[in-house]
Amino acid sequence: MLGFLIFLLVGLGAVGAPLGLAWQPGQGNAPVAATAAEGPVPVRVLMPAPFVDATASLAARFNASHPGIRIELSRGPLDTEALSDLAVSSLVLGEAPYDVLMMDVSWTPKYAAAGFLEPLEPWLGDHALDPMLPGARAGNAFGGHLWRMPFSGDTALLYWRTDLMDAPPADTEALVRTARSLQKQGKVRWGYVWQGRQYEGLSCVMLEVLHGFGGRWWNPATGRTELDTAAARQATGWLSMLVRSGVTPPAVANFAENEALQLFAAGEAAFLRNWPYAWKLIEQEGGPVAGHVGVSPLPAAPGQAGGATLGTWGFSLPAHSPHPAEAVEVIRWLSGPEAQKELVLSQGYAPTWQSLYDDPDLQRRHPLLAVQRQSLELGALVRPLTPLYAQYSDVLQRQVNGVLSGSRSVELAMAEAQSQSTRVAEAIDPR
Amino acid sequence: MSLAPWLLMLPALLLLAAVYAGPLLRYAWLSGHASSVLTGLIPVPNDGANWQRLAGDARFWQDAFQTLRFAFLSVGLELLLGLAIALLLHRPMRGRGLLRAVTLLPWALPTTLMALGWRWILNDPYGPVNGLIQGLGGQPYGFLSTPATTWLATVVADVWKTTPFVALLLLAGLQSIPGDLEEAMQLEGASRWQILRRLTLPLLLPYLGLAVLFRLAQALGVFDLIQVLTGGGPGGSTESLAFYAYLQAMRFLDFGYGATVMLATFGLLLLLALAWLLTLRRLQGRQP
Repeated sequence: MLGFLIFLLVGLGAVGAPLGLAWQPGQGNAPVAATAAEGPVPVRVLMPAPFVDATASLAARFNASHPGIRIELSRGPLDTEALSDLAVSSLVLGEAPYDVLMMDVSWTPKYAAAGFLEPLEPWLGDHALDPMLPGARAGNAFGGHLWRMPFSGDTALLYWRTDLMDAPPADTEALVRTARSLQKQGKVRWGYVWQGRQYEGLSCVMLEVLHGFGGRWWNPATGRTELDTAAARQATGWLSMLVRSGVTPPAVANFAENEALQLFAAGEAAFLRNWPYAWKLIEQEGGPVAGHVGVSPLPAAPGQAGGATLGTWGFSLPAHSPHPAEAVEVIRWLSGPEAQKELVLSQGYAPTWQSLYDDPDLQRRHPLLAVQRQSLELGALVRPLTPLYAQYSDVLQRQVNGVLSGSRSVELAMAEAQSQSTRVAEAIDPR
Repeated sequence: MSLAPWLLMLPALLLLAAVYAGPLLRYAWLSGHASSVLTGLIPVPNDGANWQRLAGDARFWQDAFQTLRFAFLSVGLELLLGLAIALLLHRPMRGRGLLRAVTLLPWALPTTLMALGWRWILNDPYGPVNGLIQGLGGQPYGFLSTPATTWLATVVADVWKTTPFVALLLLAGLQSIPGDLEEAMQLEGASRWQILRRLTLPLLLPYLGLAVLFRLAQALGVFDLIQVLTGGGPGGSTESLAFYAYLQAMRFLDFGYGATVMLATFGLLLLLALAWLLTLRRLQGRQP
């Protein structure tokens, strides 16, 4: 019976570990709070580790000019979903170990519905987003409240080789034509690389391809997904065709951003779909394609407007923060035009402030700015604004990745994606 | 039966109850409630709707199949390889201490790092395995983008990491077998195979039983390896039950259903453990 007892303990530990996270206190990487009655109020900001390095000098400048507040940057995981896991496990405690959260655009409705956040409009007013470029405003408000102040306005972009073509393709058909002809001439091994792994990045790709073929993922009016439609089947069929015809390597079914970037930066692909950060990396690392990379908005099917997925970060105020006024000051500073200008220059992110797009100094020093603006104005696509987005995204990723890895037909996958999305929405509804 | 041993164990039992029974009871309570983003995370009793949902949830049953498939194959291979390694390391030879230490290295590596390593080793087209294939004139193969090879890759990674653990347990068992028994059998003219079958394996049985219990429990709860190596893909073909429970709770914030999946997984584990213990008892009963 001793064996059985051991089994019970190990088993419960092993099975329960992932879920048990939700009842554990936040990870130990939060700096210890200064509890002295005198001295500055500490405002702890949780962000992915690379952002900590990028914003360290901004925090230092704020601390120097605000003797009453001290920004403490907490290093979180780089992976977006891992950061969410850390934030969620601290938030379910009901007490905020962090005073400001750096949030992905796709989390806003979920976090707001869970009661994790404090609305920002009582602090920042009803017009806080007005000075932003219209495309960069989406994904911050939900259910009549402002939950997040954007800190970047990134959209996905098309990277192409200026040494292999004179201009970027006008639409998806031109992209495939150019890619095939370059492959036939032996100039590149692959035509177009993007993100097809079963993860959030594939949902981002799907959102823009769906719109690029005149479809949409989700109808805000009915609150239902629209995946079993002709347009959605065409969109998925296009991605599947890219893989089957050899324009895209079959390995794309396991590609995240970096795998796709590697292939393009090594000079083995004519086109790449990626976020703005890739441009800085390609140019700085000086590989075989450095100096030969053009960037433009993503193409859509002929006659379609299309658009590009918004993949932005922003700042939110957790509920029950012990010092919200100070936290809001920090949010105001870190999402403000001065901070954004510095980050655009050091990291290549797209800013959100209209004034920065009109800033001649920034235009000169950050050549990508015009394309970033163009992409935001052409059609910045925000992922479905519903608290059930994570479930919908999960369903779509599984089905489309199944198509890409060759184990499911397009028709079956889209029918399943639609019916499973509906089932999830019905099953979770408590009424 | 005397009361004294139980009294002595009481503090430890209370601690275990607090650490293990507490969460289990909480899961049980939560599984009877809707607690998701649609309830603002406030638990609302829902009359067993979570359990009804589980029964009709094809994804749960698919994941159960995938988890069992993973557990049986990886634990089976680990036993075979672990036994072979333990028998080798048990023999007196030069450098045995060093070899034993080296064998343990994979076990000492955190699973996350190990999984990242395998993800790189199997990378298509830049990983070393595909480098070798291309060097020999072949085409790179998508080990982690083909469902049939991806689940085998999870097994290989798990076997690579945890075989040393099984080997260590079995080695401890081998050392507890008195050497003169083997010598006596040798004198009587028994072959090596007869010694292994009639002496070593029966005496090793309690250790084998323990190794299977430990490994089965861990394999049925596999999470970190899946999270890092495959993310459940391609197309959900490597998703495990623990990963599904994690998605429900942490990603979807559906704590009610997440707790239900967790408990069901735990129930499955208990059933398998009982089955194994009964098998073990029968095997031991057959011994001379």
